[in-house]
Amino acid sequence: MRKSLLFSVALGLIATTGTVAGEGLPAGRETPLLSDNVVQDIVKGRVTSADGSIAGATIAVIGTTVSAATDVDGNFSIRAKVGDVLRITYIGYVTQEVKIESATVLVTLLPDDGAIEEVVVTALGIERSKKNLTYSVQQVSGDDLRAANQGNILNALQGQVAGAQISSSGGSPGLPTEIILRGSTTLTGDNQPLMIVDGIRVNNSSSNGTVNRIADINPEDIEDISILKGAAAAALYGIDAASGAVIITTKKGKAGVMQIGGTYRAFVETMGRLPRQQQIYTTGTGGTYDESSGSSWGRKFRYDEPIYNNIERFFQTALTHDAGININGGSENLQYYMSGGYRKAGSMVPNTHQDKINFLMKGTAKLSDKISVTASANYVQNNIQEGLGGASAGGWINSILTYPLRYDILQYERPNGEPWYAYKEPEDDGRDARISPMWGVMRNPRNNNVDRFILNGSIDYKPLDWLTLNYRLGQDYTASKYRTVTTPGTPGAANVFQGRVTESNANSKYVTSTFNATIQRQFYDDFEVSLILGANSDYYVSDGLAYSAENLLVPDIFSPNVVDPNNKILTDNLASRQRYAVYGDLSLSYKNMLTLGITGRNDWTSTLSPQHRQFYSPSYSGSFTFSELINPDMWYGKLRMSYAKVGKDAPIFRTNTNLRQVTTVGGGFVVDATGGNPDLRPERTSEFEVGTELGFFNRRLNVDLTYYKRESIDMIMTPRVPLPSGYVIMTFNAGSLWNKGYEASINVIPFRNENFTWSTTVNAWKNISKMMEFAGDIQTFKYTNAQLNAGSAATTLDEHVLGIVGRDYQRTEEGYVIIGNDGYPLIDDIEKSIGNREPEFNIGWLNRFSYKGFDLSFMWDFRFGGDILNASRQRMMSVGTGYDVGQWRDKEFVFNGVVAQEDGSYVRNEQPVVLNYSFFANNYYQVGTNFVEKINWARVRYITLGYTIPKSLSSRLGVKRLGLELSAQNPFVITNYSGGDPEVNSAGPNAGGSGASTMGVDNGAIPLPRSFSFGLNIGL
Amino acid sequence: MKIFVKGFSIILGIVALSACNKLDLNYNPVQPVTVPSSLRLPAIQANLAYSLYAQARFAAYHSYYVTTRTGNSNAQTDTWNYNNITRMGAWRWHYFDVGSNISGPAGMLLRAEEDGDNNYIGVGKIMLALSFLSATDVFGDMPFDEAYSGSFNPLYNTQEEIYAGVERLLDEGIEELQNVSSSASSMNANADLIYQGDYRKWIALANAVRARMKLHTANFTNGYQELVTLINATLTDFEDAVFRYPGTSTSNWEKNLWGESRPNPEWQFADIRNDLLNSLPTDVLMKTLTIDEDAGLYDPRLYKLTTPGTNNKYLGAKMSEGLRDNALPSGTTYQDFANLYNGYWTADSSAYPYMIEEELYFIKAEALYYLNDNQGALTAYKQGVETNLRRLGIEEGQIINFLGSSKLAQTAENLKISDIMMQKWIALYLQAESWVDIRRYHYSVDAYPDLYYPRFALAEWGGRYIQRFVYDPQTEYIYNPKEISRLGADKRDWVFTPLWWVEKSTLAGN
Repeated sequence: MRKSLLFSVALGLIATTGTVAGEGLPAGRETPLLSDNVVQDIVKGRVTSADGSIAGATIAVIGTTVSAATDVDGNFSIRAKVGDVLRITYIGYVTQEVKIESATVLVTLLPDDGAIEEVVVTALGIERSKKNLTYSVQQVSGDDLRAANQGNILNALQGQVAGAQISSSGGSPGLPTEIILRGSTTLTGDNQPLMIVDGIRVNNSSSNGTVNRIADINPEDIEDISILKGAAAAALYGIDAASGAVIITTKKGKAGVMQIGGTYRAFVETMGRLPRQQQIYTTGTGGTYDESSGSSWGRKFRYDEPIYNNIERFFQTALTHDAGININGGSENLQYYMSGGYRKAGSMVPNTHQDKINFLMKGTAKLSDKISVTASANYVQNNIQEGLGGASAGGWINSILTYPLRYDILQYERPNGEPWYAYKEPEDDGRDARISPMWGVMRNPRNNNVDRFILNGSIDYKPLDWLTLNYRLGQDYTASKYRTVTTPGTPGAANVFQGRVTESNANSKYVTSTFNATIQRQFYDDFEVSLILGANSDYYVSDGLAYSAENLLVPDIFSPNVVDPNNKILTDNLASRQRYAVYGDLSLSYKNMLTLGITGRNDWTSTLSPQHRQFYSPSYSGSFTFSELINPDMWYGKLRMSYAKVGKDAPIFRTNTNLRQVTTVGGGFVVDATGGNPDLRPERTSEFEVGTELGFFNRRLNVDLTYYKRESIDMIMTPRVPLPSGYVIMTFNAGSLWNKGYEASINVIPFRNENFTWSTTVNAWKNISKMMEFAGDIQTFKYTNAQLNAGSAATTLDEHVLGIVGRDYQRTEEGYVIIGNDGYPLIDDIEKSIGNREPEFNIGWLNRFSYKGFDLSFMWDFRFGGDILNASRQRMMSVGTGYDVGQWRDKEFVFNGVVAQEDGSYVRNEQPVVLNYSFFANNYYQVGTNFVEKINWARVRYITLGYTIPKSLSSRLGVKRLGLELSAQNPFVITNYSGGDPEVNSAGPNAGGSGASTMGVDNGAIPLPRSFSFGLNIGL
Repeated sequence: MKIFVKGFSIILGIVALSACNKLDLNYNPVQPVTVPSSLRLPAIQANLAYSLYAQARFAAYHSYYVTTRTGNSNAQTDTWNYNNITRMGAWRWHYFDVGSNISGPAGMLLRAEEDGDNNYIGVGKIMLALSFLSATDVFGDMPFDEAYSGSFNPLYNTQEEIYAGVERLLDEGIEELQNVSSSASSMNANADLIYQGDYRKWIALANAVRARMKLHTANFTNGYQELVTLINATLTDFEDAVFRYPGTSTSNWEKNLWGESRPNPEWQFADIRNDLLNSLPTDVLMKTLTIDEDAGLYDPRLYKLTTPGTNNKYLGAKMSEGLRDNALPSGTTYQDFANLYNGYWTADSSAYPYMIEEELYFIKAEALYYLNDNQGALTAYKQGVETNLRRLGIEEGQIINFLGSSKLAQTAENLKISDIMMQKWIALYLQAESWVDIRRYHYSVDAYPDLYYPRFALAEWGGRYIQRFVYDPQTEYIYNPKEISRLGADKRDWVFTPLWWVEKSTLAGN
């Protein structure tokens, strides 16, 4: 109850009046009452809620039979006098009692959704009182999520959760976002938490490097999100719990008068922070002009030659529309919620757009006193077209970064639609020509069309007071089509030049079936026992056909129908997995003061070898609310501690080897590049967590601190393996690592009165990690899809998990760079660890102000330290378009360093040398440390200003509520980064399907856009 | 409560029972686990051509056949710097695409053994021997005994041990083919794209591979006599081992990788996609093919190995310099050079050579030369040249003219080692075996009179010549750091460390 204050303030953010929420004290105390001390027989008043006025609420004078009801506008008048106590009841809201102190009474009711006695949703959708929670769970309200105005809910979580490292692959609707809780647990494979919507597991894959599928969920439908960060919190998910869990609860119907809400938002998106280029030198190599060269290492531009700022010219300003409607209502026995949404999103990347339709229907029926059922159906259509298609290693805008500035990037086709080649040799038909990257963007887009149904049904049977049986069956069905086209005339290998179309269709299904029995009993008033026993089945199947067709005989039809049969390849893909589990959860509380919890779960999974197929996950936890001992009304203090051991199974079909058909001359079968491993064991994660929750000043200041240490043992990886093993890729148990860190979440309400409230939340966290052990002789493991010439994303034994390796210059023991006799610095022989991609410290700072009808909220995001591997800059330097090439090329320079003398001593280098092409090519951009940057940033993730026009005005317009909103997303970033936006994750969460985290690798990343929005919301 | 406990146990029981049945679904139902050997062999043969190409892709530059057009632009071929590559495709092609398909944990040999198809075992072992030989000749020490053992950090055998292993494979392969079981599955033209199941030819190829190998060591093992005997025995049955591509095909997979369409069937191996488009014939190649420049008189093979450039001129580019060479006439463009595509070996439809007959003649010539049988050497040398001229389809008259021209040594007394080696170099145009020869002779001008040190090789290398490839940085350096550092392969200048048979070589230049 105490903790509820902040929560309700958060909920009340968009509230119209200066809502003052009830807190731990008796409900009426804080209700705003006027005090002109006039004694009258008739008392007038108004009943409202956060959503507007309440019609039909019952007002009764306690101790009498007098009662009244509110009218359409929530107004009432009742025969009563000052000193009487009114009781206001309305279904779905908490009953309030108010002592009359003046002739006018204003009452704000709070929704009875559990927010008062604050409960949080924990594993398996079990709601627990926050008071008795024995581990850290952070909950984000739907409103806070929506204030960020992000289409992808993971992006909206940025800064709101201590310990969640969220990085998007760039600003474009089709790009994925990665969320990692408490550090990376595996070097390849999924590091992301389990995603649960209303108790069923849902798809969050981002196959083909497209958007992560949780982005299909409509943010408007979200009631709240619980983040189960630690192993103990997620322990009931057993073999799926190693990376934590994100539990999304959607809105449900509320009994009462039907409420209709509508929202509309329009966004203008422009480019954010861009990398810089030199504008001095034109094409050529080694200082000589050469038209045929794609490098920009030529002579200086002449005054009469145009220079195009191609990066800026490439990006555009785009418009996004987002509209939604929701209806909710019902009676005591039947409640419904329905919503529909449509989003038509543009992008700063040309020829990139998204069309998304959401439709959700949800109903709860109470069939009898003992049985209730809930069912929901969610349909999503999400069609995304992308102009820029990255490779498995990212690299979306590399072609733009390196396109010579002498050509206009916007010139790419002739009026008749044929390609316009910037440079072509006379003998060449275009296959080897140079063409603006815009050609590919406009003519060779990729499309990802998804139709998705999430069905969820649940039945609750309460045969006895203390026993609830629940069965839930859910299915997340995704039909996805991924298609790429190559227009004939596109430079490239012969088969590409003649046109190509590839398409991959997949129907995937997650079927979750869960049975829970919950026993809840009280003993001797002071003891409470809750026992949950359950069983779960989790089935996944994905089935699909893919084809590739080359050499289009009819150039403008992209279909296998116009391709010679020899040039078509058809592939059938099938994957399935079955898991079963039984589990139990025992929790024992004494007087809200002491709670002990034990859980156990046994999993069986199909993806591991039969001898290792079973897996047991226990957890032990406890909490002690020590404030109960001393002045429990004045403050709040709790200590919690937990230990859990959970796990992870392997990717599908990795225990045996298959053969694969080839289309080489003569055909036949070859060994599949991915070899089977019959000895796969489950990956184990054990985690210890200790934390405290403190509340002061009537809970206006709340502090939550957590320390954790998580060990991941026998980590399962699927990397490239040594070829002498006979395979290219293999899944194996590769080593052990740990993460440890601190999380702090501080909520403060520095100021509050009837009209004005300021509340603020600071989330701060730090994670450090270490690679403890590798299988075999591995010392450094480089991530396959993040090996970028001068440096690689990699993990080194006894170093940070998210590291960078590369070469440095040779250095003396004191750290001076050793300069060769020719005056140039000497490159070190051996590669070593040269960076850590994990930020040293993160802060998310959320502020909310409300003043009368105005609400202002904004999120600051600070990052301190942590390195970026700037492969974009390395690439620009190597082709000569880099900004520093313009600054330094052909200049005389004396390297700061020392020169070795014959007697072994060193003297300071004083030899001037010229920074010529050879230096850059053979020295500068082969040295990884030249491209590792330690980054800090201060950025505003969003600012949202809302205004709800006064009731008097809105009712005249015939609506219950009318709100306006102005918002900016990512409006500015202050950073020392030399490239574009420093939030980079080159290949996203599923790098090339193998899933290494490429957080902190900038390889042609599309910079985050800056966008501004206008919104309108109406309540009817 | 009792009822509940009972009910719950029953449910658990059912779940547990059904679990036992349905958990066995981790087998991909739409991909085979094993197929008959006749469905494995064609792909292995196609992959061996790719694999040999993958080695030649870079060796052709290190052998001074071609150089990049812009000069100083490609780290590996112009500056001899292999430190920044991500993958070494040639490593994969040998160990996985060829080797694993033959003798890996899911290789053809297993099934052939089960089926009693010892003909496939024989052919498989001979191909594996050829693949190992060509691979060790660019990589040096590498896993042999522990290859395909399941180890991620196998022992690297010395090249000497690998040579012994290759010889063993050849012996075993020949043994099988000499005793093909009557119950063995047939090996027809659909299964064997090289010799259509003619085991005698496979045996001859095995001996030719043995001869190639023996030549590498003959100078320090005193093995020339043995070699001559072997060659003479081999020549009777030998037929070119080449992998043929269809005359026309629109499939990316059915083209010679040196071809004009620059196929890259495995997209992730862009590093082995040919770059002849942006390459030029070197001055070494042009000098060798020029009879009289002023008279415009060239070796007739010039017009077969290359096609005319736009300007019908035949300039030669200096190694690593390309058009950057100041000695080239001013205004020179790539159009003043021969076009490297659509020559005999460089068209989409060209056959890819495993091993060709000329090589045997030149091996014989070299061996006889060192046995001081100059007359015999001259004869073999001429046979090699003539075989090559005929292969390339030179007209009879031109053959006679050229064989009698001053370009070739005409008398035994005048025969120099460089005559033999340069003609072999031309005959083995673009093949990686030429790099073996050049390294055996330590890049010596005695054997290769026109060689010089490339201008853009990094100063860091201290004037040393390139000797080998790096191992695959993406796998070997990660999983097997102990072996890598034992060998010294983690040093920046590893590729300048001579191979075993280079170090031992007593040939000119040492």
